[in-house]
Amino acid sequence: MTSKAQERADRLSTLPFQTSISAGGGVMGGFWGSIKEVLAHRELLDLLIRRELKARYKDSSLGFLWSLIKPLTMLLIYYVAIGQFLQAARGIPDFAIFVFAGLTIWGLYSEIVSSGTMSIIGNAGLIKKVYLPREIFPLAAAGSAIFNFAIQMIVLIAATVVLGQFPLSWNLLYVPVAILIVLVYGIAFAILLSALNVYLRDIQYLVEVAMLLLFWASPIVYAWSYVVNSAVVVSHSWIASLYLLNPVSSAVLAFQKGMWLAGSETRTIGDAVIAPQPWPADLDLRLLIVTIVGFILLIVCQRVFQKLQGNFAQEI
Amino acid sequence: MPHVSSRPSITNAPVVIRTKDVSKRFVIRKDKSLKERIVNFGRSKRHKEDFWALRDVGFEITAGSSVGLVGANGSGKSTLLKVIGGIIQPNDGSVERRGRLAALLELGAGFHPDLTGRENVFLNGSILGLSQKQTADYFDSIVDFSEIGDFIDTQVKFYSSGMYVRLAFAIAVHVDPDILLVDEVLSVGDEPFQEKCMAKIREFQAEGRTIVFVSHSAAQVEDLCDRVVVLSHGKVVFDGGTQEGIAALRDSFGQ
Repeated sequence: MTSKAQERADRLSTLPFQTSISAGGGVMGGFWGSIKEVLAHRELLDLLIRRELKARYKDSSLGFLWSLIKPLTMLLIYYVAIGQFLQAARGIPDFAIFVFAGLTIWGLYSEIVSSGTMSIIGNAGLIKKVYLPREIFPLAAAGSAIFNFAIQMIVLIAATVVLGQFPLSWNLLYVPVAILIVLVYGIAFAILLSALNVYLRDIQYLVEVAMLLLFWASPIVYAWSYVVNSAVVVSHSWIASLYLLNPVSSAVLAFQKGMWLAGSETRTIGDAVIAPQPWPADLDLRLLIVTIVGFILLIVCQRVFQKLQGNFAQEI
Repeated sequence: MPHVSSRPSITNAPVVIRTKDVSKRFVIRKDKSLKERIVNFGRSKRHKEDFWALRDVGFEITAGSSVGLVGANGSGKSTLLKVIGGIIQPNDGSVERRGRLAALLELGAGFHPDLTGRENVFLNGSILGLSQKQTADYFDSIVDFSEIGDFIDTQVKFYSSGMYVRLAFAIAVHVDPDILLVDEVLSVGDEPFQEKCMAKIREFQAEGRTIVFVSHSAAQVEDLCDRVVVLSHGKVVFDGGTQEGIAALRDSFGQ
């Protein structure tokens, strides 16, 4: 007769040892190992995303509506202040759709990076006490950002339908590419910055400033044509090239090209004839390169994270 | 001790935890912000202090044994437990382990105050390695054990500290671990609940689960453990039977 205890011992003796040194395994091996570990915890990831979403609006009566009110308010501000007062709407047809498209894709990026940066510190209690693949926390932050993005996306699509501007064309294929780029870069930075923030708390403030700067360095509330024209006026066309080096700018442009029908057509506002946007000629190639670089960046950031995470439990 | 003798006999007990020359160095930086680091750049030695929390710790733990890690405050026992649990990585050496591991390092660490007890049970179960289905299967039994009753659908921020800990312990013991790491948590809750916890731990022992136990209470260690490892200043100074271990612990206080 074998007892329960003996059965357990016999089963254990057949198991291989797991060693706790996870830093080894080479660059790619370590990266795949971490992905496998995160995939093994996908149920937990799902629960953490729900937790973030549920807890955020738990005791508010408007609940999820708040995640819409903020972007809609921003839309209103930019529409009135920049569109009407600064008269940007005179040169940009369907200004509301244009701004909301930019705000939607930018919101995804900025929320992933800023809430991702705080995610490790915000879960200090768990990290100090339980072993989990720690990448799961920035990923959960990204997950809740994706949820908010999805709601805004529905509003954006509904608006294009209502205004009769639904962008039914091949350009629509730019939309998933833009989202992919934003996700890859957003998650890469979220992972890297969340780890650095444990060691240097200045990172979270730096991120706030950087996001403000990057917001105005992307064609969100002004059109790409303005950047091109300004570069021509001062006869330094390299300014436009420099501007495009920002991967998020490329993604925002691709997203607008997909969602904003008026940007690819000749329109008239009053007496003025507005030419289509001068989309960068090599946009497709750019997007391809940006995507490849993004994946390399993601791997590098994850490896740095892996190196830094061994000391999270004491440094937090 | 009466409980130790009731332990099931296991032949050819396999090794479940093996530590080899584990060393862990802590660096304490006194300058945390960027400004301070730049100001102190080049003089960083003065603003850094490091000490070895663990130094060349190596031992093996076989399945079904209950090991007490004891030592004075700051001797490195909690650090060692965290290294075994994979929460901290050692600077040197390696830790190997096999089987499902659960850590009762701090009960309720994964609770979110704004979620209800029910939502937290599922979240915490998942953190401790249960699938959603398993948690659903154990759910009634978890609620029973915790004696929370109807409060299960209340947000846990309204729980008393006792209810909080009871629910957390109830989840942890339903995880079905092969190795259980326990850090000082058995001293929580009221007396009946402590009794219940101890009874559960004994049940675990009878089922051949391995328990690694950090405690300051010599009586608890004497009661539960069949082996004692005494740490002093990050080094193992004694490894052996319970009675001698407790004597060695008393000696180490004098150092």
